Amino acid sequence: MTLAIAVGLLAAVGTWLVVRGGAVRLILGFILLGHAANLIIISAGGAFRREAPLVDGQLLAENAADPLPQAFVLTAIVITFGVTVYLLSLVARTAKQSSKVEDESIGRIEDPTDGGGRSS
Amino acid sequence: MLVASLALVGLTTFFVPVLVRYLGRFTGYPLAVIFLISAGLLLAESPAVMSGETVVQSWQWVAAFDVQFTLRLNGLALLFAMLVLGVGALVLSYAPQYLDPSYEVGRLYTVLNLFAAAMLGIVLSGDLILLLVFWEVTTLCSFLLVAGNGTAGAWAATRALVITGIGGLALFGAVVLLAIKTQTTDIATVFAVAPERLSTGDLALIGPLIVLAAFTKSAQLPFHFWLPGAMVAVTPVSAYLHAATLVKAGIYLLLLFSPLFLDMPAWNLTLMAFGLATAVFGAYQALRQRDLKALLAYSTVSQLGTMVALVGVGTSAALAAAALLVVAHALFKATLFMLVGIVDREAGSRDLDELSGLWRAMPVTAALTGLAAMSMAGLPPLVGFVAKEEAFYSFLDTSQASWTQGQEWTGIAAAVIAVLGAALTFAYSARIFGGVFFGPLTQRKLYEPSWLFLAPAFVPAVAGLALGVAPGLLNGIIDRTTVDVGFTMVQSDLSLWHGFSTALILSIIAITLGSILHFRRRWVMRWLGEEPPEPVAPIVFDRIWYGTLRFGAKVGRSAHTTSVGVHLFGVGALLLGLAIVGFAIIPGSGGGLPAMIPGSAQPVDIAILVLLVPAVVFLARTRSAIAALVLAGFVGLIIAVWLLLLGAPDVALTLLLVEFLTVVVAAPVLSRLPVHRDIGRSTTAAISAIVVGIVSGLAVWAFTGRREASNLSEYFLAEAEALTGGTNVVNTILVDFRGLDTLGEVTVLFAAALGLLAATAVTVRARQDALSEVLGAGERTVLRVGARVVIPLLLLAALVLFWRGHDEPGGGFIAGLVAGAAVAVASIAGINLRVPSAGILLSSGLAIALASAFIGPLAGGAALEPIKVDVPVLGSLTSSLIFDLGVLLIVVGLVRAALERLDGLGMDNDPGDAGDDDSGDTRAPANHPTGVAS
Amino acid sequence: MNVDVAFLSTWALPLVFLGPLIAAVITFVIGASAVSRFIGLLVPLGVFAVSIALIIATMDGQVVVSQIAGWPGGIAIAFVGDLFSALMLAVSSLLVFTSMVFSYAAGLGIDRWFVPAVLIMTGGVYGAYATADLFNLFVMVEVALLPSYILMSRSGTLTALRAARLYLIVNLTASTLFLAGLGAVYGVTGTVNMAALAGLGVLPVVGVATGVIVIALSLKAALVPTHSWLPATYPYTSPAVTALFSGLLTKIGVYALVRIISLIYEPGQLVTVIVVIACVASMVIGVLGALGEGTIRGVLTFHMISQVGYILVGVVLAGAVGLAAVVFYLIHHTIVKTSLFLTGGTVEHEEGTGIIRRLGGLARAHPVASLAFLLAALSLIGIPPFSGFWAKLGVLNAAADAGSALVFAAALVVSVGTLGSMLKLGSGVFWGTPKGMREEDEETPSDVTVGPETVGATGVAIDVATAVEAPPVTRWRPLLVIPGLALALVSLGIGLYPEWLLSLADTAGRSLADPAAYVSAVLGGGS
Repeated sequence: MTLAIAVGLLAAVGTWLVVRGGAVRLILGFILLGHAANLIIISAGGAFRREAPLVDGQLLAENAADPLPQAFVLTAIVITFGVTVYLLSLVARTAKQSSKVEDESIGRIEDPTDGGGRSS
Repeated sequence: MLVASLALVGLTTFFVPVLVRYLGRFTGYPLAVIFLISAGLLLAESPAVMSGETVVQSWQWVAAFDVQFTLRLNGLALLFAMLVLGVGALVLSYAPQYLDPSYEVGRLYTVLNLFAAAMLGIVLSGDLILLLVFWEVTTLCSFLLVAGNGTAGAWAATRALVITGIGGLALFGAVVLLAIKTQTTDIATVFAVAPERLSTGDLALIGPLIVLAAFTKSAQLPFHFWLPGAMVAVTPVSAYLHAATLVKAGIYLLLLFSPLFLDMPAWNLTLMAFGLATAVFGAYQALRQRDLKALLAYSTVSQLGTMVALVGVGTSAALAAAALLVVAHALFKATLFMLVGIVDREAGSRDLDELSGLWRAMPVTAALTGLAAMSMAGLPPLVGFVAKEEAFYSFLDTSQASWTQGQEWTGIAAAVIAVLGAALTFAYSARIFGGVFFGPLTQRKLYEPSWLFLAPAFVPAVAGLALGVAPGLLNGIIDRTTVDVGFTMVQSDLSLWHGFSTALILSIIAITLGSILHFRRRWVMRWLGEEPPEPVAPIVFDRIWYGTLRFGAKVGRSAHTTSVGVHLFGVGALLLGLAIVGFAIIPGSGGGLPAMIPGSAQPVDIAILVLLVPAVVFLARTRSAIAALVLAGFVGLIIAVWLLLLGAPDVALTLLLVEFLTVVVAAPVLSRLPVHRDIGRSTTAAISAIVVGIVSGLAVWAFTGRREASNLSEYFLAEAEALTGGTNVVNTILVDFRGLDTLGEVTVLFAAALGLLAATAVTVRARQDALSEVLGAGERTVLRVGARVVIPLLLLAALVLFWRGHDEPGGGFIAGLVAGAAVAVASIAGINLRVPSAGILLSSGLAIALASAFIGPLAGGAALEPIKVDVPVLGSLTSSLIFDLGVLLIVVGLVRAALERLDGLGMDNDPGDAGDDDSGDTRAPANHPTGVAS
Repeated sequence: MNVDVAFLSTWALPLVFLGPLIAAVITFVIGASAVSRFIGLLVPLGVFAVSIALIIATMDGQVVVSQIAGWPGGIAIAFVGDLFSALMLAVSSLLVFTSMVFSYAAGLGIDRWFVPAVLIMTGGVYGAYATADLFNLFVMVEVALLPSYILMSRSGTLTALRAARLYLIVNLTASTLFLAGLGAVYGVTGTVNMAALAGLGVLPVVGVATGVIVIALSLKAALVPTHSWLPATYPYTSPAVTALFSGLLTKIGVYALVRIISLIYEPGQLVTVIVVIACVASMVIGVLGALGEGTIRGVLTFHMISQVGYILVGVVLAGAVGLAAVVFYLIHHTIVKTSLFLTGGTVEHEEGTGIIRRLGGLARAHPVASLAFLLAALSLIGIPPFSGFWAKLGVLNAAADAGSALVFAAALVVSVGTLGSMLKLGSGVFWGTPKGMREEDEETPSDVTVGPETVGATGVAIDVATAVEAPPVTRWRPLLVIPGLALALVSLGIGLYPEWLLSLADTAGRSLADPAAYVSAVLGGGS
């Protein structure tokens, strides 16, 4: 239940930030969405067992949490980190390019009326 | 013989270019000879055919769809094949004289020959799929031949291809339906099994498709307009494709399939209605044209209409008449086109107002034109007359057809309309002949063309006369045809003189009316208007065409925005839909969801939420980039703590470090950006946020915490230590059980670093500026001192974490991230650690990780399989440690690259230029391809 | 023919993923040079060889499995080579090779980052085709995506960067959603092994949980209503990259959808209805958008949406028949669409623009490229005797078999739109008047019908056409033209003798419809 609330909250705010736009919100939005997804996976393992899955010989892993989702989340976190880092570089370059005026190539390609144009 | 005949023409196509190289425009002659040989090969079979059998040759082609390569020759096929090859030979021996020496004949002859082969293929096909294949090829050839002539050609060809293409797809549909319903694609078998396997319902689906295919191909209303448009093609093409053969393919299709539909009144009515309408409309248009080719084109439309109507009548006599008309029309229309071409060449015009009195200059041409025109007008003693008589008979006897239930008026109505058409036909035929050849000769220096030029026109003109005098010659083949289209043997006796029959009287009426129209042309024209009418259909077509294009542009508009909201809207909608579906179907199924397992939510979680909610809400509302960043870090921290409480120390540790590094890396970038402005509309954002929030919350509530620990979980917890020697199960999963995931993940990091190095450039000065924006001067000195202490500790920690990773929380990642943190601290404080360059770290790291993947196979195991070795001092080690080392190096490499490259944003350098030792020259080439895209 | 299956599972199958990565490291280290370009061509050839071996080994419906790291089935991540994945490996490696040749000719080869990025991307794609584990699929997709971000934004123009940013956001969304779905699936089933999930879709809970993953994948595959990002991003990078993407990245989504839907859901469920509706909508909206676009790649990209509809509709129609149609159509489409992108790319490179109204009459000066376009376009429309004809025949066949009049009608009617849009390209770019003779086509098309003046004019157009020479033209670089032509000819070859591919598709379709062999191979026994 608590996890559900947390996920819902994170997902909602994440979406808000992404849709509301702006580079900063975009990145932070995806970070929050990432948290939400990760919590879903952890929760999928079952939050009713909360011992760390560290098995030294004698300890019987009675209450140990499901290790597989943890591995998934760990991998996912690191991948998201990689993507975020690249997204940052892209944001940086876009910001820099936008600040230049000489690049006027959008209007032409994105002009949908080209389509109505006579083709023969 | 069949296949030989088809192959001969077909394969010749490949040699045409060669012939053209040596013979130029005279290539037509050898091709004509080949057509005649091919015709001869078929005629060798004709005795068998005439004696009533069907010659069949068949090979397996596509077993998957049970398609045979079947050729068959019966009366119907023979009749059309002779037409295709005979007229083909004539036109090809005409072309060399007609064509301008400068004309690119290579393409023309190649396509013409290919067309002839395909057309022959249509009439010889014994398999539906094969028929379809050849059908489409003819469409295509027509397109290529018309498109060859400039802008006008291109556009006319486009129209023609759209119209005939629709027909082709309709035929496609019909063929598939037939094949599915009858379980075969063999035409003969289809007819055999049709009675029991094809219900009236099926036929009601298939019939319209076939009619559509035929009407488009044979230029029936309202699709007629492509044919006059196609007249921009050179005259040989008009004579061969657009008069004699291609447009007859539709007629052939109707004749071929009529046995299936003969007792469906809808079929007969449709064909008769559209056919007769087209006949009259075409003739009327022809009468008003001034350009001879346009006139002939409309005349063809009209004649095709008559044929369609005759097929519609559905009596054996009518189908015989249709076949006869096909022959007659091919003869006189091909002649007329060739002669018009000659006039065009000699007198330099095709305009009836500019031409007159040519018989004085070129009497032979005039005579031949007269013959052909008379045949078209339906005057005795020419074959056109016989055909028209037969047509009148058939129309009068419409009431004899089963489907009319003997209602007299049908026959009378049909006949009256037919007579009207005939009258108009007579009028424009007379106009061609009279207009061009009589009256004063206005032009000087006109001479009879050479006999070589005239001969191809001479043959069919005279043939028309011969068959008119002795039409009995055709009895045999016509009878066979009627049998092939589903009738019992009838003895038709074609002859010139049937006595004073009703048909004859109708002919006389038609001719009288026609002559009035012709000789009173002046006031007829005053009444109709001198100028040829502006064709409406093409304009309608263009309206529809451009309307569709504009509508398409509207549909595609969403593709021309970069607004995230627009592009992700669909996903949100789908998620909502899925949630609704879930509510609809899950509760009803076996008591709905299993019960929550107690303990999934615990008091401590509440505490976490109490911290989490305000942080997230503030994050949503703040407008300061830095504040947002800090809040995000705080949220990350809370979640890390929670993960720790949920029993995921490794994840918590990783998350913490990632958060820290993200903030460090992002701060200079984001702080550089303008305080962010709103882009998406807040209402949209709010709605989608709420939807996504609720849906995902519900998903967690519904799908998680309702089942006991999974078997996999039990397996790992129980077996991990025994199997891998590691006690940190998560780490053993990462490096031992699911090393492939980890390998992929470090590859992602590697690629991300690649992207950074590729995209950005180092500017140390910029990094300092960035810092001064984040931290004050005083803070920085504090930092420097702190760093000297922290860095060694971090590096030591990294070493420890790496070493014990297999047993305690830690491992390559975490160690790498900690080491990375050390590098980060150093760079924040502006201390220079002598770490190898990012490039070296990354490539060596991935190389090691990949190499470790092969230790398994080399040791006789599987890829990525960890191999244990006992090392004296260190005890038992597994190769997964090597793998982990690779991981560590890559992580450090990425962190280093990020720190170096991201602060500066390469503000002072071009993008795509990474001026680093290991990045080499990446400046885009002068003609960088993407310069094109922009 | 028999192949050493043990060798395939121990070495060949893992190498499909590892090989390109090793090559990537090497090419990254040695930097832009003839050597690394050569490696860039060598790797796809190697993968092609492997896939041929796999096809031979799996032609009889057998399944080659490599339990990675040798753990027992169900525990280990399994790499699977069944006929479907083998065919996909073959076709994608083939078109990677051709696209590489094109890219080099287009000058991308001298970009130091190009070859490594492409190699990593293809590695991820091949891995995604091979894996039988949902989470590993996510990882593989990410491996393929990150390099694609790099390639997308390589040109550095603002348009390219904006497109790249949108592209990244969309894919990030899809990936996050995929993770969430994965969590849901693991939450209800306790496994992420695709074989272990086989048939569980009949349980509503599992069905809905998997639905999240399906949505994420349809976003990647650009299925309506999640399609609009595709034409907003693909046309704005370099033509060579567009060709690569069209052949590889959206196809992962399509491939995964085919696998998951056919494996997890049972036909006749609600999912059938939903998929059919989405596919028909894709066919229609895609082709309408294509008609409306004004640039070569704009038209082609919208066609991808339309074609995805054609491909996926068979998944839920008529069982094995439908799935066979899916396999055949997927292969045909990958070849033909890449060919079109390459030929269109050639035009953009050599003429300097992809905007249709600024082009025209190129056929006279560039007959070979025009032929390549013509062949591929005809194949796309579905005109015999090209591969597209048999592909469409398969779909119509499946639709008729399943008695779905909607799909049958849509497949036919949409073909008309395809024809129209290809004509728009053809008559706008290749036929018609060369750019140099603009004044002629001021006349509106509706004038160009039979009426005294125009026919008088066009009557002598015979001579005009030859007398007036097109403006001086530079010959196009053969290495740009050949790849597109080669693929078009492949399509023609398949069309003329479709038997072998049809029978392979048939086998693949049957084993997709009845995944017993796949399941037992993946779960049964260890290494």
